[in-house]
Amino acid sequence: MASQQNDKSSLSIQSTEISGWTVLAVSGRMDAENAPQLQEKCDELIAQGHTSLVIDLGGLTYISSMGLRTFLAVAKTLQGKGGTLRLCGLKGLVKQIFEITGLTQSFSIHETVESAVLEANV
Amino acid sequence: MFCAPRSLTVVAKPTSLRAVTEFVREGAVEANLPDERVGELEVMVDELIMNVCNHAYPGDSMGHVTVTYSVPSPGELSVEVADQGVEFNPLEAKAPDLTLSIEARPIGGLGIHLVKTFAKSLAYRREEGWNRLTFGLSAGL
Repeated sequence: MASQQNDKSSLSIQSTEISGWTVLAVSGRMDAENAPQLQEKCDELIAQGHTSLVIDLGGLTYISSMGLRTFLAVAKTLQGKGGTLRLCGLKGLVKQIFEITGLTQSFSIHETVESAVLEANV
Repeated sequence: MFCAPRSLTVVAKPTSLRAVTEFVREGAVEANLPDERVGELEVMVDELIMNVCNHAYPGDSMGHVTVTYSVPSPGELSVEVADQGVEFNPLEAKAPDLTLSIEARPIGGLGIHLVKTFAKSLAYRREEGWNRLTFGLSAGL
């Protein structure tokens, strides 16, 4: 398991490989200051050819619009490369913000990592 | 006035965000807001501070932003975000189309939508060179 953590920004990103998917478990807070960390991690993975990504937001307690920008940007990049982005584990304030901004309709959203990686490609 | 206004002035840059968040959390405690309102408060302040950072002081100019909160009555919190930058009313921003697909969606434009959704009251005024954005939150819905 690879991990990337910065105590100052209180955002943690851990990556694993499951059934051909690269799963990023994101926890902590995503605001203007630390959202670029996830963007950089995703850009790095995509550049290495990892174009099937699941991002698990189960540990995320806070997100601002700068965090939402990151997910939109990653999704657009992956679409341009024929890749796929799936999200899972949304809850609390994070889920509320995805719902308010209509992004629960735009993204492929799943309850768990398991359901995200097991669902057939559509 | 249940609680006298308190103010914090910081440099208008993203690294000031954490200090402002901590400051308004104190207001949330004084107003006895529940946890879900505190999360919404943090999002609103975050979006408005970033709005000042991005629009108030263009180019290399550096300015400040002052955040003031008061508790007009128990369970009520009023917050003002003020700057002396260029005149800009974020409430006039065009509402985002939330039905667009990911390909068609612009990357930005969601912050003010969040503020408008969470705020119980929201107002902007330009006053003697200041942009003053005021919003209210209450413990109830």
